[in-house]
Amino acid sequence: MLHIKCPHCGLRSQNEFAYGGDATVKRPELNKEVSDKEWDTFVYLRKSPRGKHLEFWHHISGCRQWFKVERDTVTHEIFKTLKPNEDN
Amino acid sequence: MQKYSVFSLIKNAFKGHKDWEVAWKDPTPKAEYDVIIIGGGGHGLATAYYLAKEHNITNVAIVEKGWIGGGNVGRNTTIIRSNYMHDENALFSELGMNLWRNMSQELNFNVMFSPRGIINLAHSDAQMNVYSRRGNSMRLNGIDAVLLGREEVKKLIPMADFSENVRFPIFGALMQPSAGTARHDGVAWGYARQADSMGVDIIQHCEVTGFDVANGKIKGIKTSKGNIKAKKVGLCVAGSTSVLAEMLNMTLPVETHLLQACVSEPIKPLLDRVVTFGAGHFYCSQSDKGEMVMGGDLDGYNSYAQRGNLPTLQHVLTEGIAMFPFLSKLKMLRTWGGIMDMSMDGSPIIDKTHIEGLYLNCGWCYGGFKATPASGWTFAHTIAQDRVHELNAGYSLNRFSTGHLIDEKGLGTKTWIS
Amino acid sequence: MSQDFRIDKIGLINRDKKISFKFNGKNYFGYEGDTLASALIANGVHLVGRSFKYHRPRGFFGAGVDEPYAIVQLYKNNETEPNVRATEQELFEGLEAKSVNCWPNVNFDIGAINNFLNKFFPAGFYYKTFMWPKSFWYKVYEPFIRKAAGFGVASIKHDKERYEHKYEYCDLLITGSGPSGLASAYAAAKNGARVILAEDKPRFGGSLLTSEVNIGNQSGKEWAENIVAELKEMPNVIVKNRSQVFGYYDHNMLVMSERLSDHLPKSKKYSPRQRLWYIRAKEVVISSGSIERPLVFGNNDTPGVVLSSAAKEYLKVYGVLVGRNPLIFTNNDSGYETAIEFKKNGIWPVILDTRSNPNSEVIDEAKRMGINIKFSYVVVAAKGYKKVKSAEIAKISEDKKDLGQIENINCDCICVSGFWTPTIHLASQSGNKTKFDKEIDAFVPGQSKQEETTVGSANGIFTLEETLKTSFETGQELSKKITKNDNKVSIPTVVEKKLTKHDKFWCVPLPEGKKYKRFLDFQNDVVVTDVELALREGYRSIEHVKRYTTLGMATDQGKTSNLNGLQLVSNVENKVVPAVGHTTFRPPYTPVTIGAIVGREIGKHSKPTRKSPIHLWHEKNNAVFVDAGVWLRPRYYKQRDEGLFEASKREAENVRKNVGVCDVTTLGKIDIKGPDVAEFLNRVYTNAWLKLPVGKARYGVMLREDGIVMDDGTTTRISENHYHMTTTTAQAANVLSHLEYYLQIVWPELNVNVVSTTEQWAGAAIAGPKSRNVLQKLFPDTDVSNEGLPFMGYLEGNLFGVYARIFRISFSGELAYEVNVQSDNGNFMWEKIIEIGKEFSIQPYGTEALSTLRIEMGHVAGSELDGRTIPYDNGLQGLVSKKKDFIGKRSLNRSAFTAEDRQKVVGVVPLDKKTSIPEGSHLVKEAKSKLPNPKLGHVSASCWSVEYNNPFSLAILRDGKNMIGEKLFALSPLKNKTIPVEIVSSHYVDPKGERVRS
Repeated sequence: MLHIKCPHCGLRSQNEFAYGGDATVKRPELNKEVSDKEWDTFVYLRKSPRGKHLEFWHHISGCRQWFKVERDTVTHEIFKTLKPNEDN
Repeated sequence: MQKYSVFSLIKNAFKGHKDWEVAWKDPTPKAEYDVIIIGGGGHGLATAYYLAKEHNITNVAIVEKGWIGGGNVGRNTTIIRSNYMHDENALFSELGMNLWRNMSQELNFNVMFSPRGIINLAHSDAQMNVYSRRGNSMRLNGIDAVLLGREEVKKLIPMADFSENVRFPIFGALMQPSAGTARHDGVAWGYARQADSMGVDIIQHCEVTGFDVANGKIKGIKTSKGNIKAKKVGLCVAGSTSVLAEMLNMTLPVETHLLQACVSEPIKPLLDRVVTFGAGHFYCSQSDKGEMVMGGDLDGYNSYAQRGNLPTLQHVLTEGIAMFPFLSKLKMLRTWGGIMDMSMDGSPIIDKTHIEGLYLNCGWCYGGFKATPASGWTFAHTIAQDRVHELNAGYSLNRFSTGHLIDEKGLGTKTWIS
Repeated sequence: MSQDFRIDKIGLINRDKKISFKFNGKNYFGYEGDTLASALIANGVHLVGRSFKYHRPRGFFGAGVDEPYAIVQLYKNNETEPNVRATEQELFEGLEAKSVNCWPNVNFDIGAINNFLNKFFPAGFYYKTFMWPKSFWYKVYEPFIRKAAGFGVASIKHDKERYEHKYEYCDLLITGSGPSGLASAYAAAKNGARVILAEDKPRFGGSLLTSEVNIGNQSGKEWAENIVAELKEMPNVIVKNRSQVFGYYDHNMLVMSERLSDHLPKSKKYSPRQRLWYIRAKEVVISSGSIERPLVFGNNDTPGVVLSSAAKEYLKVYGVLVGRNPLIFTNNDSGYETAIEFKKNGIWPVILDTRSNPNSEVIDEAKRMGINIKFSYVVVAAKGYKKVKSAEIAKISEDKKDLGQIENINCDCICVSGFWTPTIHLASQSGNKTKFDKEIDAFVPGQSKQEETTVGSANGIFTLEETLKTSFETGQELSKKITKNDNKVSIPTVVEKKLTKHDKFWCVPLPEGKKYKRFLDFQNDVVVTDVELALREGYRSIEHVKRYTTLGMATDQGKTSNLNGLQLVSNVENKVVPAVGHTTFRPPYTPVTIGAIVGREIGKHSKPTRKSPIHLWHEKNNAVFVDAGVWLRPRYYKQRDEGLFEASKREAENVRKNVGVCDVTTLGKIDIKGPDVAEFLNRVYTNAWLKLPVGKARYGVMLREDGIVMDDGTTTRISENHYHMTTTTAQAANVLSHLEYYLQIVWPELNVNVVSTTEQWAGAAIAGPKSRNVLQKLFPDTDVSNEGLPFMGYLEGNLFGVYARIFRISFSGELAYEVNVQSDNGNFMWEKIIEIGKEFSIQPYGTEALSTLRIEMGHVAGSELDGRTIPYDNGLQGLVSKKKDFIGKRSLNRSAFTAEDRQKVVGVVPLDKKTSIPEGSHLVKEAKSKLPNPKLGHVSASCWSVEYNNPFSLAILRDGKNMIGEKLFALSPLKNKTIPVEIVSSHYVDPKGERVRS
């Protein structure tokens, strides 16, 4: 069971969290003209790397904050967790 | 090729089984092939077999990173069915069912196809209605399906929870009587042996490290055993698709996730159907060896580790006991994990790509094993003819742009939710 | 009955307490502290079962978790448990067990005919045959094979035992209480660390219980007892026996199963049968010891062939002789230790040592005692069918290829020792890349992946002195890292006998002309020729060998067979063992009861049950409930002998004619506050929200980014910066997470806060032409007239002293209101509504009537919003703003979504106005087309229209907008129904929506 450090609550067990997928996907701005390709890339395309993966988790049974986790998809090692507005 | 039969078995028994030939050879790669299939799993082996058999293309290599059959074809719960609602899935799977029925004889390798029927339990009238929609759709597509009431279910699987102390009582079920199971390793080996006998080179322990693409055309692949030229290349590496796609600068509507399964200790025959739980996600059958084979949800985060965590299994087995209370007293013997391509609508992709001569077979989600023959058959057709067959036309890569999605569960792009 | 194989004055059993038990119907007795295995051997019973494939007689091979054979069916408290290892099952009064996999009985087993036909059943034979005729696999062969396979019989009774879970944190988890575990635990505990020491067996001490060593002037056993006693007294230490750490998962989470009752006649009151511990450890010390390897020779599966360490354990722990005329067959010094123990108890063993001229203290002692030792000798084959009667032995050449003259030697057991295999399972599970140690011919842990350290023989250290030294140091260093303390304990002096090198030899060649079976995997009947055949046929990867032959796939998971299998592959393939590689170790280390993994979440508690605060009233008033997700909702209120149809029809009619009340507490409710709420809602919903005035509600539809409808509901502006959103019952949790995602990640600049208030509010929908009359009486001080509270209006009111929110919204299509009060007042509100509504003929209505009302009004719900439809499909295109952007809008212009013949919701009426259309039917042009029959759409919801008194359904139909008036067929092959139907508007009743505004 993963041990995830919520940036607000500290280390907690995985069963308090919900997974939120690829955190490198960036939603196109509202009201901005985007090409079909850009939009499809946002909605459907995922890099799904083998190794370091930046992803969202949601402390759903805790503070209910979304945050970013950098995790290895092979070893499941967690390198760091970040608030959504933090880059490192 | 030696023919396998009871007679050859007896004949060989008297020679101390010294005369059996290798099931497949161990060739060094040639400099060039007409077609290279990357991935020696069920789908890759089946594709090579059907390329040779149906399209007479035998200058084919299968390139496998590890040992053949070591991926998801060797780590699944062996369920075979075509009980789909959407026409694309249903008709494709029904081709598969026909291939399964004759597979042991066609491959001269006993894959132990056992059409014992699959029972999808329903726990409310609303769920019975959802299953009716699916079952009626199957019937109109020529696939067998029956709707069972509670008492009929009880007759078939009396060990399910029909007691008062149950959270979600069984209302009835949808059953596909012709669905069943097969011996997973046997499928991989059977295809490998026949493909090998028709001239296909099976190259194990050969990892793909890159692609040779020029002017929008595939020219060959780079591997740990050197560069190999090819006129056409097919990707059949469910679980690792994204890794190879990255080498090709492609991003796909696919994520890699981990799915665990487990077996109990072997017990005497008790359950002779495949049963799925309706108030959650749990499926169970009993193997010929006597083990209860059980599976359920994904671990729920991107993963390439073939090792899972216990809370997922705890959750899966909780639903298991809710369905079959007797499981409580059995012991869990073995667990394993497979990594799978989860596509963004839950259905696979079998298609050409923007690179000429490069073909894609991926996104099998939970359903790769049962699709093995149909996937190989249609993928071989797509590669050989350089055009999709009508049965895999729906599995196009551009359906995500056009909106022709095939979403059986209606869950959308959150592939890790089940 | 006398115990012929029990000897006096030795062992740890309690001879004052006799325990009677039954095996295969026969009565025996043993002593407290016995296992079923030790008690049976004491009684001279060596035949316990039959093997999986050949049904060969099988006895005992080990004395613990590694036992491949002695699997029995256990009977206890009118229940039965399959596949219990007799070597682990402690004896209790009244225990009953039977042999498995034999018929009619273990002594005379018909299945043993397989043994004579075994040449026809080599590895993988079933892949080569049973293919003709085609239908026979499923009908004939498979049932036959299935019947032959499997071990015990599972009972299908519900489990009456209780299983618990426990979560624990510690600094050091130590897995095994042998010398290495005790030393690590002691050093760490003394240094202030929080320690959990787990021992699988009932007794602590591991190898110290059976070895002749001296630690700090005490015997090893006494030293262990004293350390354990001291640890048990320390507040920072948890000491657990009968507890197996079976899984090492991510982030140093380990799982342990504790057996609290399996050794008792029945569970103690308030005590579970087993307890599963989830342990998050800062550091893990793996002190799981090692398992002795078998030597492989002809008929090495005969009952009476046992591991030499097991023979020693039976003797020293249980006072039991595995034989009175033992032959010891060894390639290392361990066999001598067993021989010496026999000799000390008056038994004369014979030692066959594969080595030609080894020298060590223990060998010298054996010589001094006059034990007959034959060097460069091997056992060629065991003789005897149901028990060893003698052995064929021979001298072996220096290169181990040639056998000398075969000699016969009488013996009643053969104790084998092929050196030791470290138990590296947990280390490997943690991700440790194990490495091959050529000195010991086995894998040992390599670089740690997680915080794990392996000590003692599990790490390939086989002298006590070094084990203790390194283990004390490990405990000290690891605890220092955590506690920052530096309290050292002194390492005691050790007296032990020096041992010399083992011989790498492990598999005896067959003598000329003999075809003895030499077993690698004892339970699955995998013999040397099976592996050779697999390799010959090209199954060369170790995983292929394993899967083709089933080597190591039995219930003992290959604890005694894996390494010998590897050695054989490496010999045949001419590769070194590490190049062959071993198969992956995965949890569990030993089989774990599924009930223990699941714990208390069984039966009614397998998922939570959520009830509204009005639930008791519903119960009292004959509500029949339906599961709505985890909620229980009244489906209908039964009067007299009504069924679902009659009751729901009555309830729906009453709403259309008078007034009804429905518990809508389960709807999701989200409180939204902040200055930017309007802008936020404008982005979340498809329609416009910027101009919603205070005191008004609006219906909205929200999409996923892929354009598919996610949920619908109303949101009300309570005050300037305060909104109340409702969601469907099913989507409540998802919608909240969805809103939080956009607020926290995508648009953090918006000043908006959301919180779920689903549990805080109880809700009642009051619907029907007379609903206003009820409302007026409920809120006499409030103006609820059409002007005072117009359609989609909102007011706050005082309901007999209780604060209430009143929304004029309608799902039924009638004039309707929804009243919310704080949950605690829910029942009060409900009873008031019923009381006041009496004069207007109010009736409660359930979800079935609710469905009828919404269906005939053409309101879409979950069966139409099924995760595959866009707003257009549901007739909601009018709510999709063309002017502004919102979540998912960009996806709506995909070609499939804008196709001319796009599916759309329609109404369906049977031509005969009588036949109800089953939900899930499909609409087709021709009823009797050949298959596949093209489907135009499906019936999503059906009801009996109380307005028109005929069946009515909703359907999602291709090109729905142009299909009104068409005649089609609704087909339900599952129910054998073909119903001619007409397509009508989905708004079957009150198409202009006048009633809601009246």
